[in-house]
Amino acid sequence: MSEKPITGEKRAFMTGNEVVAWAALAAGADIMYGYPITPQNEIMHYWTRQIPKYGRKFLQTEDELSAGFTTVGGVLAGLKAFTATAGPGNTLMQEPLSMAEMMRLPVVTVVQQRGGPSTATVIYSQQEVTLTTLGGNGEGMRVVYSPSNHQELFDYTIKSFNTAWKYRFPTFVLGDGYQAKMRESVTLYDPEEKGITFVTPERYVGKPGTPGVDRDPGHYRNTYNTEEELFEVLQQHFADFEKMAPEVIEYSQESVEDADVIIIGHGVVFRGVRDAVKELREEGLKVGYFRPITLRPFPAEQLKALATQGRKLLIAESAQGQLARLVKDAIYGATAEIVPMFRPGVGITTEQIVAKVKEVL
Amino acid sequence: MDKLSQQKSGGGCTISKRIVEAYVGEYASGKSEVAVNRALELSRDGRKVNLVDLDIVEPCYTLRPIKKELESAGMTVLAWETRDTIGLGEAGNIIKPECRWALYREGDVILDIGYGVEGAKTLNLLEGVDETPEMQIFAVINVKRPMTSTVPEILDYIKELGPIDGLINNTHLGDETTPEVVEEGARMVTEVSKILGIPVVATTADQEVAKKIGQQDVMGNPVRPLTRFMPRTFW
Repeated sequence: MSEKPITGEKRAFMTGNEVVAWAALAAGADIMYGYPITPQNEIMHYWTRQIPKYGRKFLQTEDELSAGFTTVGGVLAGLKAFTATAGPGNTLMQEPLSMAEMMRLPVVTVVQQRGGPSTATVIYSQQEVTLTTLGGNGEGMRVVYSPSNHQELFDYTIKSFNTAWKYRFPTFVLGDGYQAKMRESVTLYDPEEKGITFVTPERYVGKPGTPGVDRDPGHYRNTYNTEEELFEVLQQHFADFEKMAPEVIEYSQESVEDADVIIIGHGVVFRGVRDAVKELREEGLKVGYFRPITLRPFPAEQLKALATQGRKLLIAESAQGQLARLVKDAIYGATAEIVPMFRPGVGITTEQIVAKVKEVL
Repeated sequence: MDKLSQQKSGGGCTISKRIVEAYVGEYASGKSEVAVNRALELSRDGRKVNLVDLDIVEPCYTLRPIKKELESAGMTVLAWETRDTIGLGEAGNIIKPECRWALYREGDVILDIGYGVEGAKTLNLLEGVDETPEMQIFAVINVKRPMTSTVPEILDYIKELGPIDGLINNTHLGDETTPEVVEEGARMVTEVSKILGIPVVATTADQEVAKKIGQQDVMGNPVRPLTRFMPRTFW
C-alpha cells in the first residue's frame, strides 16, 4: 500500500459523503463496489478520486444486486470491502446482504436514506430504518449504526469495519440525504495513531493448503436442505449476536433522571432533539433525551429502564413510526406513555420539538 | 467597480461597464455563497443584476429556498422554483431554458456554476460566450476542503477546471472560522496566484470574521464580507 491517506489530525470542511469516503480510506478499506444513486454518489466520486494515490480499488457494477454480491465476493476473497446505497438501491441490496447474514460475512454498507416508497425524494428521510435493520429474508443478524454528525460519520464508518470483521456480522452505517450533502467541520485522523487497532481481514476462500489435509475445509453456505441443520446454524447465530450485543450497543442519554418527558430520536433528527432538551431545560422544564446509536442491536434494556410509570416518551422521527417500532419492541411491558412525532420524509426542527413537548407536558 | 475591472479598463483591454462573472470551483467550495453575495453587492450599488443558478447536476436545490428573498432585493434570479420542478423527478436535471440564454440579458450576469469540474463544463452549454468578452471566470477555493488543501492540490484542481481569470480565497470552517483560518487560505491561494499568473480577486469571509481581518487580508487581497445564506438552503 502507498502512503497513508491521513497523518496526524486535520480539521476540514466537508460533506457527509466525502467524510464516508475518507473514513473508508482511513479504515484501510481495500475496495468499494457500487452503483450510483443519489444521495450517496459522492461517496463513490470521492473514493474513486482518491484511490489511485493509495492503491485501493473500485468496481462499478450494473445494479445494486451486483454491487451487493460483488461486495460479498470481495469479503470472501479476504478484502475489506464496502458498498454504499440508498432507497430502492437499499431494497435491491437486501438479497446479497441477506446472503452475507447467512454466511456471516463482514460486509460494510453505508446507506444514505432517501424518502420513499420507491424512488420518491433524495434529501431528507429516516424511512429506511426498518429496511436497514430488518431487511433480509429469514432472520439474519446485523449491526446498524446511526450517526448524527460528520464526526460520527467518520468515527462510525471506521468502527463499522472493525465491528464487521471482529464479530462477522454485516454492518451498516445509516446516514441520510441531509447528512450526505450537509457541510460541516470534521477532524480527520489516522485511526492507528488514535490507538485503534484494525482487525486483520482473513480470506474465506482460496486459503493455502489442501482442505481436509492441511486445514479445515471452508464450508460457507447460504443453502440448507434440512430444517434441522438450518435451525442449528441459526441458533448459533442468535447466540453469537446476543453475546456480542453488550459489547456493541451504543446510546447516549441526558437529563433523564427527573424527566417527565424523554425525547427519543436518532441520526440527523437527534441534532434537533439535543438542542430542544437544552432549550427546555433552560426554561426549567423536566425534559431529557435518549438516543440509540446502534439501532441494531438496540439498547433495549437501557431504554426500558427509563420507560417508567407516569413518564412520556416522545418519539421524534422523519418516518411514520419506524424508530417507534424498535422502541415498542424494546420496552414491551413498560408503562410509560408513547407520544408519536412522525414526519415521514421531512425534517424536524428544534422549534417543532420544543413546541410538541410543551403541548404534551 | 471592483479591482479587476479597474485594472482591465485601465489597461484598455476591455471597455465594458457590464459585469459578467462565472463562479466555479470544487464541490462545496462556497461558489453559491460567493455568487449570491456578489450579486447582492452589485444590486445594492443600484445595478441591474441577473443571478443564474447553473447547477445541472443538482439544480433547484441551491438557490430555490432563497430565490424570493433575493428577488425582493431587486435582482433577477434565474433558477427553478418549487412549483416548476414538481413532476421533474429526482433532481429535475434539466437546464432551465432561460439560464442557457442568460448572457443575452441586459445588465450584469452572475453565474453560479454548481458541482465542481463537471459543473465547469456547463459553461459550454451557455449561448453567447463568444460574444461576451467581458466574462470573467473565477475559481472559488476553500483550502479547508480536503481535495484542495495544499498548493499542489489546488494547482492540479485548477488545471481540471479549464480557463480561469481570477481566484477567490473562500477558506473557512463553517462556524469555527477564525481570521487565522482565512489567512492560511490567503497565503496558499496567493502562492497559487503567483505560480499561475492569475490574480486573486478577493478573500471572502463571514461578516464577523471579515471585520476582524479588515479591508485587506494578510497578503493584501481585498476582503469581501459575506452574509451567509447557504445554511438556509438544502445543499
